[in-house]
Amino acid sequence: MMITTNLIRPSILTLLIVIIMVGGWEFYLRQKGVPISYDDAAELWSDKRAKVYGPSDGATVFIGSSRIKYDLDINTWRKITGKDAIQLAMEGNSPLTILEDLGNDPEFKGNLVVDITEELFFALAPPYNTQPQGNINYYHKETYAQKASFQLSHIVESHFVFLNKKFLSLNAVLDNLSIPNRPGVMGEPRFPMDFWCVDFDRQDRMSSRFLTDKDLQHRVTDVWSFFLGIFQSLPPPKDNPVPVVLQKAKHAVDKIRARGGDVLFIRTPSSGYFWEKEQLLFKKERFWNPLIVTTHCKGIYFTDYPTINQFKCIEWSHLSPAQAVVFTTEFIKLLPQSFVN
Amino acid sequence: MLFNSYTFIAFFIIVLTLHNLPFAWKVKKIILLLAGYIFYAAWNPPFILLLWFSTVIDFYVGKALYMQINKHKKRGLLIISLIGNLGMLCFFKYGGFLLGNFVSLVNTFGINYHPAKPNIILPAGISFYTFTTLCYTIDMYKKHSKPVRSLLDFSLFVSFFPHLVAGPIVRPGQLVPQFETPRTATKKQLFDGLFLLSLGLFMKVVLADSMLSTSADAVFNAPDVLPSLDAWIGTLAFSGQIFFDFAGYSTCAIGAALCLGFILPQNFAFPYGAAGFSDFWRRWHITLSSWLRDYLYIPLGGNRGGKIRTYINLMITMLLGGLWHGANWTFVVWGGLHGLFLWTERFFIDKNKGVGEPQSYGGDHGFTKFLYALFTFFLVNITWVFFRASTFEGAGRILISMFSFTKGTKPLLATLAIIKVSIIIPLTVLIHWSMRSRSTLDIAYKLPWWLTGTAWSLMVILLIWSQESSNSFIYFLF
Repeated sequence: MMITTNLIRPSILTLLIVIIMVGGWEFYLRQKGVPISYDDAAELWSDKRAKVYGPSDGATVFIGSSRIKYDLDINTWRKITGKDAIQLAMEGNSPLTILEDLGNDPEFKGNLVVDITEELFFALAPPYNTQPQGNINYYHKETYAQKASFQLSHIVESHFVFLNKKFLSLNAVLDNLSIPNRPGVMGEPRFPMDFWCVDFDRQDRMSSRFLTDKDLQHRVTDVWSFFLGIFQSLPPPKDNPVPVVLQKAKHAVDKIRARGGDVLFIRTPSSGYFWEKEQLLFKKERFWNPLIVTTHCKGIYFTDYPTINQFKCIEWSHLSPAQAVVFTTEFIKLLPQSFVN
Repeated sequence: MLFNSYTFIAFFIIVLTLHNLPFAWKVKKIILLLAGYIFYAAWNPPFILLLWFSTVIDFYVGKALYMQINKHKKRGLLIISLIGNLGMLCFFKYGGFLLGNFVSLVNTFGINYHPAKPNIILPAGISFYTFTTLCYTIDMYKKHSKPVRSLLDFSLFVSFFPHLVAGPIVRPGQLVPQFETPRTATKKQLFDGLFLLSLGLFMKVVLADSMLSTSADAVFNAPDVLPSLDAWIGTLAFSGQIFFDFAGYSTCAIGAALCLGFILPQNFAFPYGAAGFSDFWRRWHITLSSWLRDYLYIPLGGNRGGKIRTYINLMITMLLGGLWHGANWTFVVWGGLHGLFLWTERFFIDKNKGVGEPQSYGGDHGFTKFLYALFTFFLVNITWVFFRASTFEGAGRILISMFSFTKGTKPLLATLAIIKVSIIIPLTVLIHWSMRSRSTLDIAYKLPWWLTGTAWSLMVILLIWSQESSNSFIYFLF
């Protein structure tokens, strides 16, 4: 056996294999039309969170769950209002923790739009608030090295399609093996990659393939059906979270308003089976109306306005890129002057 | 700054380039020193002052200690150094812990005392650099070596970025002589260093973070008693995570230093192949265990004061070694359990004196010894429960889950998670067992070059593919 005397040849071989394999993988993905998608983790969220301190007439901050991330077309917002949109919403999570964080931040004096998905906003349970709190903690403790690393990773992520942690990383590929779990173990919902592409502004988009592929759409509606089934089967919580959530929201809103900022609530569209269930489980009179009354905020509930009540979400819950442009244009017209001037 | 970050890659390329330019040796040392301060300040700039304080105090106190003839003045100077270093460590690391215990104690006696909880930030690496400077002043007190001639060399010894934040804990004699002569890496050292850097990052990013941490966190954060399978998988996942995380860091540190032409001491020698706890502590965090042996166990008397005294000294060393890891009684219990196992081993060795130590049974790789290694690994996992759990209640819950086989408990882990741990951990134990007397670089050189290259490329591809965020190293918390 030929014994190696130094690691120069192995290192050259390593470099060659890595370049060929990674380059080949990148080429293959680009041929398939996979777009660039950013890792929407604490680092990217923190980058946007740091931008909320501009003058209140310079930018509007958006928080919520996933719907506002799809439904707000940030480029359209910028074109029409001439202002920036800072997207701090988080998929599958309640925005209440973030609302409280902005309320407690004495430097935040801007305008805030809060998108309400009732089943998430009115849930105090840890799973819906853990990740937002994690992002907030990261933002407040971010080191210079982490900030620098984020800037470097942004450069790298902007040029390589394969850098898509959610769908193309080692763990994501292993998760796709769909190995059955033991009874009682709930796996993470598996969304198709074409449903979820994140740009650097943290806007989510569906791919054009998703818009025409019924199988991909059914994979997403199956996930919604599963979660709606769970919501329906859950016993009512021991302590009603609604009054607690309303008080927390009111305190945060009052603090922001006392500093000269303003808050507006929006209920973005849903349709089909999802909307049917939401009407049954989260009636407007029990959740939305008390929220508006308690906080004394303006509220835009999509069914109340003909210009935004006609959208059909192809997977029941989020707007397509083209619909998002129309929705954003119409939504801006419904905003108070203080939010657009 | 973390080794597993884009910032470090950029930082290291710059430092490596500057180190290989034709500057005077003193200039290169200043560059390395500044690099160390930048490396540290990138976490939190004001805490550089602590590093400077520790460095300056111990440089001048060390010199004075060496020159001082008067026994009382010498002792006084040593006390100054101990108070300075340990005082800083106690305040930042144990301040909250000590206050909490004091409050609990006085409340027990009916005194109603509830002070505000102090918000003390734990400076990164304080446990490591205070031990590094402490061993210098103690060596000066004992005249084990000559004082470091220049403040530059001493500062560089303390703040050399590869070992600054999480070790290996380096003795002055191991590193300072290397600063006295100009050096850059030879071609062999450079490529060995790059190989070790890749290996260290693979261990940390792919194995610890990507494959094991989620299962460990899920199990240890679960509020309820779990099925035994989940509890064992979570504990095994943590035993893998803590090893790959910390050994990964040490390997990166050694690799980075080697790329610059410096040699740092080995810190891990395949500990999960250890047969017995004495063997384990010759293989796990070697620089800490040897520090504790030389600066705590031996000064306490070591094994020179009879059997009972030896056992006491051993237990004190392990308890304090546990406490070093964190300001929580669970760490003390972890250390205490290791002390107990070391006691037991020592008891049987003493009892069977003449028959031979367990490690001589069946040669270095006999089947009996392998079984003993598996038993050691089993016990080590029990101790890891206390290390990882942040409360005794949590540790109790995990242990009950592991051993009570309670019916009706809700399973937690996905099948994929179980498979990952079930493949990685047994493979790790087997590799550690087979590599007991060898080193990774030995193997890399013994294999055909194309096989080494293929393995190396597989590590790098998996590293890139894992796409993990820059997660902090566990030992940064200590």
